[in-house]
Amino acid sequence: MAKFKKARVNVGIDMTPLVDVAFLLLTFFMLTTQFKPQEDVKIQLPMSHSPTKLPESDVMTIHVDANDSLYLGFVAPAMMEAFFGPAYRDKQCCSVKKADLPDLLMKARGMNSKIRTLIKTDANNEFGMVSDILEILQKTKIIRFSIITNYDQTGI
Amino acid sequence: MSGADVGGGGGQKRHAKKGRKPKKRMKIRIDMTPLVDVAFLLLTFFMLTTVFRLPNAFEIVLPDTITVQVKVPETKMITIRVGNDMTVFWSIGIFTAHRMPYEALTDSLKAKKAQWESRYTPQQLKSFEAFPNDPNTKHPDWIFKIVLDRKAKSKALIEIVDKLKILDMTRFTIVPINEIDKKEMAKAI
Repeated sequence: MAKFKKARVNVGIDMTPLVDVAFLLLTFFMLTTQFKPQEDVKIQLPMSHSPTKLPESDVMTIHVDANDSLYLGFVAPAMMEAFFGPAYRDKQCCSVKKADLPDLLMKARGMNSKIRTLIKTDANNEFGMVSDILEILQKTKIIRFSIITNYDQTGI
Repeated sequence: MSGADVGGGGGQKRHAKKGRKPKKRMKIRIDMTPLVDVAFLLLTFFMLTTVFRLPNAFEIVLPDTITVQVKVPETKMITIRVGNDMTVFWSIGIFTAHRMPYEALTDSLKAKKAQWESRYTPQQLKSFEAFPNDPNTKHPDWIFKIVLDRKAKSKALIEIVDKLKILDMTRFTIVPINEIDKKEMAKAI
């Protein structure tokens, strides 16, 4: 049976394509990764079944944190600077008084007519503050707004 | 490893032709294993940490109550009030509220939708789908008034509106609590 002794084939695998693909994927993930920005205000989001994605530009956000403090923020650094000064250029939001909110909202709409209003409220805080904000929004004729939520995958 | 060791041969020949002293070329073989290791390590890290899911926007459109006043029949209107302890007070029209636990609200809303659907034959309901933008035919015609106590949790608002949207009952308004609401909630059964 020695006749059929198999000659061993020297297997050399060319790793180049593998490395190519690996680096391609690596580059893709490195470029697409957006690390969660350091939150200026800690807010636990409520849940909803809305599939709509959050708009990324032309946005102003009214934050209400768990202590019922009110903040206003813009995505555009230029808007932040125009409203709260150069120190807030790269911040997400700035603390505002409830009494000033209607004027700020009007001013923001004057500067950017396409701006959309988002409300970011903590799921467990009291409704009073949100109620006041809704009233202010209605008075300033912002009847279309969105609330930032996490997607709830369970049924109703 | 054909890709790595083609470096030597060709070059030597060329130099020999010109009669120059052939330069000794070092055969360079790079062990790619650590490189690949690191690449895959980083790849795994970025794949695992990437979050494609961002928070969602939950859109609410309120009726423009300041410029437009709409009169609604009381029988079509349902007031949902939420107390500070998250008890739901349900009433047809504005008065005579009924107390119910917050969890029971979904069933009540479903029952209202079923009540609307029972007025039509399945064929009629199907025909409504042909006019998805006609607010009078497609959606159940209940008008909801949502009133939350200032001490209630704000997520209740989002959850109630969410339920209404899912059940396709999109006519609702959110109003601040007033004295009538407080009285009704106090004397509710």
